[in-house]
Formats: sequence, structure tokens, C-alpha cells
Amino acid sequence: MNECVVKVNGQTRRERVKDNVLLLDFLRDKLEVRSVKAACWRGECGLCTVLLNGKLVKSCIVLAVEANGGEVTTVEGITDGSKLAPIQQAFVEHGASQCGFCTPAFVLTCHELLKHNPRPTEREVEEAVSGLVCRCGTYAQIREAIASVSQPPTRAEALQKLGKGVR
Amino acid sequence: MSFGSPYLTLPDFTYHRASTVEEVIALLKEHGDEAKVMAGGVGLIAFMKERLMSPAHIIDVKGVEELRQLRYAPGKGLSVGASVTYEELASSEVLKEKYTVLHEAVSRTGDPMIRARATLVGNVCEAIPWIDSAPALISLDASVEIAGARGKRTVPVAGFIRGPVDIDLESDEFVTGIQIPDAVRGTRGAFEKFTGGSEFAVASVAVTLASENKRRRARVVFGSVNSTPVRCTEAEKALEEGEFTQATIRRAAKVAAESVECVSDVLASSEYRKHLVEVVTLQALWRLLQN
Repeated sequence: MNECVVKVNGQTRRERVKDNVLLLDFLRDKLEVRSVKAACWRGECGLCTVLLNGKLVKSCIVLAVEANGGEVTTVEGITDGSKLAPIQQAFVEHGASQCGFCTPAFVLTCHELLKHNPRPTEREVEEAVSGLVCRCGTYAQIREAIASVSQPPTRAEALQKLGKGVR
Repeated sequence: MSFGSPYLTLPDFTYHRASTVEEVIALLKEHGDEAKVMAGGVGLIAFMKERLMSPAHIIDVKGVEELRQLRYAPGKGLSVGASVTYEELASSEVLKEKYTVLHEAVSRTGDPMIRARATLVGNVCEAIPWIDSAPALISLDASVEIAGARGKRTVPVAGFIRGPVDIDLESDEFVTGIQIPDAVRGTRGAFEKFTGGSEFAVASVAVTLASENKRRRARVVFGSVNSTPVRCTEAEKALEEGEFTQATIRRAAKVAAESVECVSDVLASSEYRKHLVEVVTLQALWRLLQN
């Protein structure tokens, strides 16, 4: 057993944990953060994705002790608690959730994508969510939701897209 | 409330977080066969869940500063520390410019979340037949750097991978990094793989073309077609002779399909793999021809 101190969504949590416990199980069972979904446990479906020290990772292939002294952000952490984040609102408006099981991972991943890349291309969106599996297949609606939050290109960018000859 | 997953839990082990190479060596000396070194843990944790491995001790090397270095020195080449992740490699400008073949291979491995954790060294140490990085590294004449209680040694990647999940490493040793020689001016490379839908390759190829004393020098290495990466010297010869034209690349791809030994398994028959060898070779070489 080790003491594991992790800042989860801005709140410091301190728990004793066995060395062989996964971050996924630590978050769900010990800290009761249930938005982090457990499905494949093999790092394939990505529904347990969280931000660990600012990086999106699949928490079923990370040990809880590895997060000791670090910071974890889940989908709850991207709002201020009173208002939905733009991407969350967009998921609602575009019906991008269906059963909702994969939604926390998709919302968190898309939120991160848009934070670092406010105008992703279709390819960049596909690449960003390529590690996530939606079994209902709401990919089309998810794509629409991201497009609705994505910022329009600037005039310069639009012209560049048209070709070098355009001034 | 139960604590722990109903299935795919990990066996019991003691976790050690090392902060120096000496500390890792001391822990390995103490626990030897009972210990496994972990960087990203992507492969190791999966193996442990399947009980293919149950080490009593895990030595996490992410805290060792010198193993986190990704350094390029002109003349000396690129050195990739044991905890350098795929994400760091995929976003490296040096890799993109000078080691294109490796850049393409690492950018196409796994997904962004996997790349945030997985390390090149960890991946090579897994020695799974379908990894993308090993053929690229072999085409660049890369070597594995090993440290242990009895000192350091260096082994070419091609010899380090002896078979599936079988590497040239003693129980008291660990891999500190991978060294890739400096690419001569004008070196070009391309990586192609055929996945058939999953993220794992059914057949892949890494090609590196360089100029040596006004001669073209080629390296062609296939992955996922056999238990270890396969270098095809026949295809290399075909690429080194005469002009680099469409006819040359067609001949090289044909020669590769004829000479590379391919296995049959649940994903593909050896005949189909031979066909894929020709296809991926043509794809990679076509891009090199156009650039």
C-alpha cells in the first residue's frame, strides 16, 4: 500500500492504494468519479480517457501510483460547474450522445482538441478521436458537434486555401 | 463496494520509482528475473493483465532524467532515451526532416492516447512481430543501448530482436535508449503499412535511400510478415542499380514479393502477404520517386 495524492478536477484527494491498482479503478471505485467509464480494460476503446498532467491518456493502462503527486482532469473538470462548456452544449444540440456511455471520453477529447487546435480539419478531428469507440456509431453527430464549435477560418487562411495566386 | 475490476486486474507486485540509472541497475541486481522495467507501461500492463507476465517488482524509469532525452547531434546522430514517448517523436522536427521513415512509422502507430504513453524503447523491447518501429529502425541501422551491473553494451536493433517476445537482454540489464546514426545529406525514407482496418499491420515496409560515394544505397525492411522484421537485400540491390525510375521500383517490388518469406496466420495467408509486400513496397517507393 502506498499513499496516493492526486489533484482531481482541482480538488486534492489523498487515499491509500495498492501498487497494482489501475488509475481507472482508483478513480471510479475509490474516488467515485463515475464519468470515467470502464469497458475494454485493454487500452483499446478509450472510454476511460482522462487528462493526466495535461495529457490525454487511457486510465486503464496507467497505474494509480503513477498519478501520485500529479493532476487528473475528467469531463467534470472542463466546466465551471454552472454552465456547460461549448463542446458539451454542442453535443446536446447535435444529439451526439445516444446511449451516452462513451460521451464523457468523447467530450473531454474534443474539448482538448479544440483547446489546442480551434480550427481542426476533418482529418485532424478523425485522428484526435481515433482511439475512442462509439458503439452506437454517433460519429456523424459528433463530427457535426465539433464543427459547430470550431472557429471559422480567418480571411488570410481562407485565401491561402484558395491558392497562392489569390491576393 | 468492491475495490478493483471484476476482471483484467493486475497481479500483485511492488512498484519502484527510480530516479537514476544506477538505482535501476541496483534494483535489477537485487530482483533480477523477478523484476520488469517499465516506462509507458502500455505493453507491460497488457501482458500482466493476460498473466503472460507476473513480475513481483516493477521498476518505473520515467523519473530518470537522462532517459527522457531526445537528442540530435550533427555527425553523431539521434539518441532516443528509454522514456521518450511516441508523441514526442511524432512531434519532433528533427525526426520529420532527417529520419522520415521513423517519423512516418511512429506517427501511424496506435492512437493519440496510446502515443502519449507508449515509448519507442518499450515497443522495441516487446518484440511483437507486428510493431511498426522496428523495421524503420533497422532501415536506419539503429542500435540498442544496454546498461547493466557488468557495464554497457550496444547491439544493432536487427540482432537485438531474436524472435517474437525474445530479445538479447539479460535479467540484470535494461535498455537505456536507441542510437540512430546521423543521416547523410539527401537521405530519404518512407514507411507504409496495410492494416485491413485495425491499427495493426498485416504487412509493412520501411525504405531508406541514401547516397554513399555517389552511389545509391538502399535499405528495405518488412514488418508483420514474419516473426521478426525481414530485411530484403535482393530488393535493395534492385534499387541500387541504374536510374531510380518507375521501372526500377516495379522491379524492386516484384523481387521483394518473390524473395521475402511470409507466414500464414489468422490475418492472412502467406500468398496474400506476398501480394501485400509488393503493394506496400510500390506505395512507399512511389512516394519517394515523386518527392
